[in-house]
Amino acid sequence: MSDDIAFLEPEEQVLTSRFVNEGFVTAPADDRAGLDRIQRRAAELAADYLKLPHSNDPLGFLDSVHSRVSVEDLNGLRMHVIGGLNAEAWLRPTYFRLARSTIETIVGNELCMQRRINLSIQMPADDSSLLAVHSDVWSGDSPFEVVVWVPLVDVFRTKSMYLLPPSVNGEMQDRMASLRSAEELYKTIKPHLVWIDIPYGHVLVFNQTLMHGNRVNEESGTRWTMNCRFKSIMSPYADKRFGEFFEPISLRPATRIGMQYKLPGGFDA
Amino acid sequence: MPERSGHRGYIGARPLNGSRTPQHVQNIVIRDYAKRKNLQYLLSAVEHIMPGSYMVLEDLLDELPKLNGIICYSIFMLPPDQARRRDIYDRVLREGCDLHAAVEEISLGSSDGIQAIEDILMVQKYATIL
Repeated sequence: MSDDIAFLEPEEQVLTSRFVNEGFVTAPADDRAGLDRIQRRAAELAADYLKLPHSNDPLGFLDSVHSRVSVEDLNGLRMHVIGGLNAEAWLRPTYFRLARSTIETIVGNELCMQRRINLSIQMPADDSSLLAVHSDVWSGDSPFEVVVWVPLVDVFRTKSMYLLPPSVNGEMQDRMASLRSAEELYKTIKPHLVWIDIPYGHVLVFNQTLMHGNRVNEESGTRWTMNCRFKSIMSPYADKRFGEFFEPISLRPATRIGMQYKLPGGFDA
Repeated sequence: MPERSGHRGYIGARPLNGSRTPQHVQNIVIRDYAKRKNLQYLLSAVEHIMPGSYMVLEDLLDELPKLNGIICYSIFMLPPDQARRRDIYDRVLREGCDLHAAVEEISLGSSDGIQAIEDILMVQKYATIL
């Protein structure tokens, strides 16, 4: 399309097209120093929990944490790390900055953000932290949300997550009512799944209305990933409501003024 | 045989009896119940929002061999069909597990407790609320 009649920049058009057609985009983090800060802090918190000295190689430490923690103690570690990260006032603004340009192209620039960022840890061969195939919308998220998924280590194949492409998602969803369980659903969609490889330093923004999940990590390193939802402030909400689950991060002055405005009255006295 | 460990929470995205509770509040209720009853609470599974879907509950029932039981947020999360509920009770008890409901403080550990649960569900169905 010729630039002078298009509203979107060429790179925005490319990104939009990829997101609509593939259901996700990966991109280098907009704020690499911010991502390194998050990774470093996660590694420090994990080391503190395990009563170990802080490592000079946070990626290596996180990737090999399975050699230092049992499956039984994994959730305790996860809760300590995510609690410590969410306690940092800089975490949410930094997390937003990791993917700001992508989020603003795909969602908009008047945004709300999930109040607490989530952390997932999946050690090799551990089946205790699995996420069965699902779409977040089935659990009450609004279809107007996107997920920003950030690995703190390199993730690939079964160390990552899978997504069902938009081209088949609708057809598979239509079959759900005839299936008994998520495992039966997984077996049905398995031939069509895309496993998303993401080297550390990159972020993933995906369409959470598409079926996605993870399986047992068959790779040699531990997966550490964070996830957080963003949506346009004025787009419809579902069971995850404004205030209790989302809070505004970029409410624009025009909207604020519009919400507070009152027309002159007294004409019907 | 894999070692059994803990009680899986079961919360939902659908309103119950006309009332909606945020999911994080449902988790607080379940965690409090588990703490008071000395049960090891495992991260909750969230039932689908689609009316009539109990796919997540079916996944939990498939997980029973690895669990000590399930803690539902409320007994009213169980399917409305009586035969289907009986099947759930039988599966839980057959696996040597128990079924709890945190809001109503109900626990089912043997077939003796089934009728009391069914009475609650039936009265709720027929009684008038002012």
